[in-house]
Amino acid sequence: MSAATEVTYLEAISDGLRQEMRRDPSVLCIGEDIGAFGGAFKVTDGFIEEFGAGRVMDAPLAENAIIGAAVGAAAEGLRPVCEMQFADFISCGFDQLVNVAAKMHYRQGLAVPMVVRLPSGGGFSGGPFHSQNPEAWFLQSPGLKVVAPATAADAKGLLTAAIRDPNPVCYLEHKGLYRYVKGEVPAGEHEVALGEARLAREGGELSVITYGSGVHLALEAAADLDEDIEVLDLRSLCPLDTEAILASARKTGKVLVAHEATQSCGVGAEVAALVAAEAFEDLDGPVRRLTAPDVPIPFSPPLEQAVLPQLDDMKEACRELLAY
Amino acid sequence: MSSSRTDADPAAPGREAEEAGGTLVSVEMPKMGISVSEGTIVEWRKQPGDWVEADETIADVTTDKVDVEIPSPSSGRLARIVAAAGDTVDVGTAIAEIDAGARAGEAHPEERANGSAAEAAGSAAAEPASAEQADRSGFYSPVVRRVADKHDVDLSQVEGTGIGGRVRKRDVLAHVENGHPKPAPVLHSESPYRPDEPAAEPVAEPVAGDGGRREPMTAMRRAIARHMVASRQTAAHCTTVVEVDMSRVAARRRQLKAPLAERGVGLTYLAFVARATVEALEEFPILNASVEGEEIVYHDDVNLGIAVALESGLIVPVIPRAQRLSLEGLAASIGELAERARAGKLDPDDVHGGTFTITNPGQFGAVLATPIINQPQVAILDLEAIVKRAVVVEGPEGDSIAIRPMAYLPLSFDHRALDGADAARFMARVKTRLEGWEVL
Repeated sequence: MSAATEVTYLEAISDGLRQEMRRDPSVLCIGEDIGAFGGAFKVTDGFIEEFGAGRVMDAPLAENAIIGAAVGAAAEGLRPVCEMQFADFISCGFDQLVNVAAKMHYRQGLAVPMVVRLPSGGGFSGGPFHSQNPEAWFLQSPGLKVVAPATAADAKGLLTAAIRDPNPVCYLEHKGLYRYVKGEVPAGEHEVALGEARLAREGGELSVITYGSGVHLALEAAADLDEDIEVLDLRSLCPLDTEAILASARKTGKVLVAHEATQSCGVGAEVAALVAAEAFEDLDGPVRRLTAPDVPIPFSPPLEQAVLPQLDDMKEACRELLAY
Repeated sequence: MSSSRTDADPAAPGREAEEAGGTLVSVEMPKMGISVSEGTIVEWRKQPGDWVEADETIADVTTDKVDVEIPSPSSGRLARIVAAAGDTVDVGTAIAEIDAGARAGEAHPEERANGSAAEAAGSAAAEPASAEQADRSGFYSPVVRRVADKHDVDLSQVEGTGIGGRVRKRDVLAHVENGHPKPAPVLHSESPYRPDEPAAEPVAEPVAGDGGRREPMTAMRRAIARHMVASRQTAAHCTTVVEVDMSRVAARRRQLKAPLAERGVGLTYLAFVARATVEALEEFPILNASVEGEEIVYHDDVNLGIAVALESGLIVPVIPRAQRLSLEGLAASIGELAERARAGKLDPDDVHGGTFTITNPGQFGAVLATPIINQPQVAILDLEAIVKRAVVVEGPEGDSIAIRPMAYLPLSFDHRALDGADAARFMARVKTRLEGWEVL
């Protein structure tokens, strides 16, 4: 349609949502303070003026109601996009999501084309209720798709694909990237297929497999270290691009899986198990993980810094594996 | 460094134990008697991560002489096994490490990275691996092995640039790229002459492939082989044989057998021979001696070795200070040692320090042999089968032919230490003692 422009990750989300609402009248938004206020992070700023209160619905503080209403609307053929004000609050709507939405297709043969936007991640002293990365919860719930864009272009492209997908999709948007990440984003319609990883940096000695905020840490570490490091941005956590993961692991023989979410039973564990099972004979070192420890995110800034993986941690983890 | 979690370094659990405030205690191959220089790990009863109590058995070790249980030197958690089952290592070599600082029930080091939340949050759980000292030159990752197999690379020839000298994928690939260092063919650029292709190495004809099987020697078999060959190469073997009329010994044995059996002692002919030998050795100390360089060492005590045939070999337990024992004492000692030897229950000290050896293949019916000396001793006496033979005996009314229980007693001696006359005099003393045994 037209040339790419440089926008923030936040603007790209907003842009993608607006594009889809303009394109398809069945797309609607529902969430807390998304109407007149424009959303806590201003993703839907100006939406109510353009699309009206019927498609930009302010909901009460009841995530169960938001998601439940969306499931019903989706079952009836609409394409609702729910906004959780913070990803952490999804726990209140958990039952509607994992027991109703995720299983609808399997039980009733009904498509549930809905998206739950999950502003996630820490790094701004948000404390234990406003900083979590809950993606692993949803990966344990078959029937849900889970995406976590790292770049502005992918923020738009994956949101577009999520809205068009007939399945419920959890869309994790990292709050730390909202205004920190800027990039060229194709104007007009832009879709990034679900389930395809992106080679963010090519290298031959070590694969850092990551997503979301981890991608930027990994790219920065690789540039600082000036080593032959490959960075694979997963983008989709379910479906997982196993081919891309294994191709990279087989190429370099060393794998570091990195994410901001806690360690146990997380994406890192899943990727590590996949690599161990399928690429064992190509491994030249232990598969390692760089993650937050299994603790709630502290409010105190120095403690939060200690818990969330920092650039130095990423560099150290890379150095260790490179030296192995 | 923050405490963001990285996975543990699985190759260095010992390091982790140290970080956790533990103290690593080394388990060494113990000294198992003076003549034992190495032991072979038969089995590890504990695995890394297992809790062990002090003095609890953690491994079984076999030596060329005896089987030994290795006790843990300390309570703690088995942190690392250094010598795997099947490995043979020198006495004093570390075979495992115990984390004495660990507590029962605590996650073992390899689990520690996944430890409690408090621990993960509280301290730097992701210290960089400072374990470069750990030698990893012998560890080959799956991909390194695969590349080496594919290109037929001898990995011991590849220099490792990884941590602890580990051969990395890039190292083996570089090795392949540079070509294997092969001996360069000799080129004669000025002459049309070219060296002949080297003749193929003669290859040993395979033994008929129509059957048979190979088995590795046991540790005991290897030890026997080594000792026997060494003895043959060391001593100037010479064997002298006397023939002994065992009539009086047989008579005395008949008298004593029942009362001794009541006391739980089995009285064998061997005990009589042992007693006669010990007495003769006190008279002829040159046979109770060792050759050390150009010196002869005379031993104060007669530590009498008794060769015991086992199903899988041979062992020589020793009766220390046999000169202090009566006939009954010797019989009891022989019976007890033989029983423990066959049960595999000898202690290391039971098999060292012998100064003279008696062997007794005659119990299986053999009538003559030339035994090999048990180094560093200078002689070995052999009791052959006692067989009834027709012999000429001298009586007051002249010579007659009688049926007597007869036995040959060969003595192999080291001609470096003594001569045939010494050996003959010694054997005459033994013969006289046995033939004149007092009968009540």
